[in-house]
Amino acid sequence: MMIMKRISEWFEVRLGYKELAEKHLTGYLLPRNINAWYSLGSVLLVIFGIQVLTGILLLIYYVPDADKAFRSVTAIMNDVPYGWLIRMCHAVGSNMMVAVLLLHMLSTLFMGSYKSPRELNWLTGFILFNLVLGISLSGYLLPWSQLSFWATTVATNSAGAIPIIGDYLMQFLRGGKLVGPPTLGRFFAAHVALLPLAIAGLIGAHLFLLERIGVSAPPFGLKETKNSWQGDQFRHEDHPGGIPFFPDYLLQDATSIMIYLAVFFSVVFFSPNIFFPVTAFMPADPFRTPAHIKPEWYFLANYQTLKIFPSELLGLMVQGAVMTFLALLPFIDRGKERHPLKRPIFLACFVGGIIIYLGMTIWGHYS
Amino acid sequence: MRLHALAGRKILFAVTLLLAVFAYPHSSPAQMETVCLQCHEPQPGKGGAPVKKWRESIHAENGISCHDCHGGDPKDSANAMSPARGFLGVPKESAIPAFCGRCHVGISEDYLKSAHGRALGKGGPSCVTCHDAHATKKVTLDIINEKLCSRCHSYDRAAEIKEAMRQTETLITGIDRSLQEYKGQGVDTDAREKGLFALRNRYHRLFHEVDTAKVKHESSQIQAELQKIQQSLDKVNEQRHRRKIAGLFVIGASLLAALLVHLLRKTV
Repeated sequence: MMIMKRISEWFEVRLGYKELAEKHLTGYLLPRNINAWYSLGSVLLVIFGIQVLTGILLLIYYVPDADKAFRSVTAIMNDVPYGWLIRMCHAVGSNMMVAVLLLHMLSTLFMGSYKSPRELNWLTGFILFNLVLGISLSGYLLPWSQLSFWATTVATNSAGAIPIIGDYLMQFLRGGKLVGPPTLGRFFAAHVALLPLAIAGLIGAHLFLLERIGVSAPPFGLKETKNSWQGDQFRHEDHPGGIPFFPDYLLQDATSIMIYLAVFFSVVFFSPNIFFPVTAFMPADPFRTPAHIKPEWYFLANYQTLKIFPSELLGLMVQGAVMTFLALLPFIDRGKERHPLKRPIFLACFVGGIIIYLGMTIWGHYS
Repeated sequence: MRLHALAGRKILFAVTLLLAVFAYPHSSPAQMETVCLQCHEPQPGKGGAPVKKWRESIHAENGISCHDCHGGDPKDSANAMSPARGFLGVPKESAIPAFCGRCHVGISEDYLKSAHGRALGKGGPSCVTCHDAHATKKVTLDIINEKLCSRCHSYDRAAEIKEAMRQTETLITGIDRSLQEYKGQGVDTDAREKGLFALRNRYHRLFHEVDTAKVKHESSQIQAELQKIQQSLDKVNEQRHRRKIAGLFVIGASLLAALLVHLLRKTV
């Protein structure tokens, strides 16, 4: 015990970590009415960590060559010890990351936490969401299966509908006129280097903003639900009399993470194939188009939107307009009220938006 | 009046032109058919009967037409049946195995080695005795049946052969189904599929063997090999079962940890 105390002292006099822990853990107070939805950010951090870890392990055996990629993934699934588990965790994890990210964004929207002074929190989060979609799309091609090949063909084809630069953009993404070995090289580089770095950087920025500005209080269980930010000078939002981050809320984070892991492993062990149609296990064949090419579930709404408009360009423009509106929402919605029940127009748009998104997703699935 | 007449003539011309365009023989599947079919199909009796039978056959299904077997020129009606254009006509009974064997090489060999083949020309059956010349269907074990076999001999030995082969076929069908199912779930089935392919070929080569003992012996050997594939699939199944049990522990541990952490929070 004496040795431990001396080591602790050695570090304390050099780093002053007790003060650091007091400031950021035990003394860092959160609103008393904070709820479990606030722990989704921590869940997402864990998911990102699992993705990075399983991704690195997959890199040991994966061969990013169009002639060998499918074989290498098959070997990972069948020959590498626990390879199936690592790959399933990575593939299921990518889907779960999108799902949890959507829930995180919806809860932020519902509680009006995007409002001033947290515009940048929302914006970095929104960019993160798009980067996660990008990393999922680029990872989709890597197994070089029929599903990967044709889903990427359809996805990159949409870029061609953009006026003037569409053709150039499509060829830039594909590394040629058609999806082929150069596309795999590009998507591989983006998936394992470019996008993870960008995501890690933005997570850093997102957390810095959270720490610097302070955690927003949920608008529930309060008498005053209007945004109290004055906008005259920088103020860290403190919560005097609140609950400490450590151990209180960290235990809530841990509870949510464990519940997430239970759900995650239920899919991994019992129904991993909900994300894998038969074509995911057939090698890519550019000369054989599968009967029904559908994108991943999180792109089904976009896919269906492109189909219902008379031209692909119009469909892309509508999607672009919706995404731009969502990205700039904190700058557009300047109202002070945060409680959703006191914001009927917002609530109608929120519920309507979810219904439309779900409706388009289901329609896209069955169309 | 003249203007009306002019307009009327123009309309008449346009209609005639349209009719000419639509009435012109376009290349549709029906009209792409050979001259053999065009001449024989409308013929009554013996001339047209083979065409009707052929249309329902496995050959028609796979695009094998009259000239593929009988030779001749399928595009030139005047010389369609000219020997100079390779027309072979109808083969003699003794020449039928060689006639069919141009495509069905292995089967022809098997048949000629069998008691059926050795009896060719001495009252034994040729290919068309069992398979028909034109109403040829995809063969199943049902072709070995009392009605067909009893035309020449008793059914007893044929029934024994059929039973041995039925067991093999049941195994092959079951393993094939399992392989496709596992393949669709990411299991590497390549080696097993190649093994099954080779065994299925061995099984198919028994189709024209009529030596009961030989069929039984070879069937038992094939079945033993099939059992090995089945056992390897059973191992995959067992492994998946073990994974699910491990999964239950992992999920249970996560839920238990969630409960404990939740209770711990309540006590803080």
